[in-house]
Amino acid sequence: MNTPRPSPLELRLSAYIDGRTSDDDRHDVEELLVNDPQTRSLHDALKRGADLGRRAFDDMLKEPVPLDLVRTIKNAPLPRRAIRLPQGPRPTLSFKPSGLQAVAACALFFVLGGGIGYMIGGNPAVPQFSMISMPGASSRDWLDDIIAHYRLYSRQTNHLAEIPAERPADILEWLTTNTGVGFRIPDLSDSGLTFQGARLFAAGGGPVGQLLYRRTDGEGDGDVIAISFTKTRPEGNRSIEEIRNDTGLVSWVTPLATYMVVGPSSAADLDDIAAKAAGLI
Amino acid sequence: MTQPSPSTDIRRDLVALLPRLRRFALTLAGSAAEADELVREAAGRAIQKSHHWKGEGRLESWIFSMIRSTSVDEAKKRRRAEGNAADDASAAGSSRPSKKDALACLPDGLASVFLLADVEGFAHAEAAAILGIQPDLFAVRLCTARLSLAAAAAETSERRA
Repeated sequence: MNTPRPSPLELRLSAYIDGRTSDDDRHDVEELLVNDPQTRSLHDALKRGADLGRRAFDDMLKEPVPLDLVRTIKNAPLPRRAIRLPQGPRPTLSFKPSGLQAVAACALFFVLGGGIGYMIGGNPAVPQFSMISMPGASSRDWLDDIIAHYRLYSRQTNHLAEIPAERPADILEWLTTNTGVGFRIPDLSDSGLTFQGARLFAAGGGPVGQLLYRRTDGEGDGDVIAISFTKTRPEGNRSIEEIRNDTGLVSWVTPLATYMVVGPSSAADLDDIAAKAAGLI
Repeated sequence: MTQPSPSTDIRRDLVALLPRLRRFALTLAGSAAEADELVREAAGRAIQKSHHWKGEGRLESWIFSMIRSTSVDEAKKRRRAEGNAADDASAAGSSRPSKKDALACLPDGLASVFLLADVEGFAHAEAAAILGIQPDLFAVRLCTARLSLAAAAAETSERRA
């Protein structure tokens, strides 16, 4: 910097303008400003120079800022800060069992395992489930259901049928719709049987239609004979003729359905009834 | 003197301060292009060191200091480059464009002194710290700057007359 160093008076005046003078120095400068025209002129010149400089610098603020500079700053990546998540001291887990503890643990697991195995082995639900799900037993269960229903309703006097015989059209529509088997109501009056009505129930998981007759003359007056039919086609026997306790059963199979005549085991004409029904139904 | 409120994103404050940062950089660099490069470099440094800024005092004081130190670094680099290529030194020196008319009369180093004290309103001690000089030297340079501007003002009035 080759500019000449300011004089002491210039420095004192500059400091006075800034208000950085001591009280004594300020009084001296103010006295000089009043009495010395040269000092006053220099003071005014310094102030004019400062005003000129301020205006020039203020004008510089009016210049537009380059857009790329603004973008550079706005898009500058912020520094990555290392964030330490608060976490407590991790407990140290040491698994060093002693010999006695190991033996005790083994004994405990043995007892627990044995107990669980005993409970599973002694559970009666498991074998029952396996029997139910056995293949081949479905036909037997299906026939069991047929016989069970017969035994239940054959003892009814007032509630033998769901739909009485007076509504044959209703019976035909209802059973045909629900079983999917087309049929007619056989007239078995020749065998001394009077039609009483019909029922719908489930056997072997499928719907079964049942036509109920009551013997009105001859031996066994009052006995109930039921003709049942379903779309289910049991595997194994195509036709069954058997007696279970006090119930006799004769069945025959067509390509469309399976039919059964169920009655008391005392009824000796179940074969004949079945033969007639097979031709009429 | 408007002071930007401290925010969580220093970039926003820097953009708000940009005109004043460029003005200060121009007193150190001499050309608008160099001043912009100086501001860009200093702003980048400030952003990277923003976690050091605790929000105490004036942000521009911190940024001005950074611009000044960046300017010193750039001057050193330039001197080294000029030393390696002596033939180009004179051309580089002559390429310095002029500042505003009134400020062109100020010798190097005086414009920044005058700006910090009489325009930005910094106390002498703080302004001296920004420029890395002693307060006494700062007072002398400030007086010199005022005298130079006074002479320029006198010339201007004479020309008008």
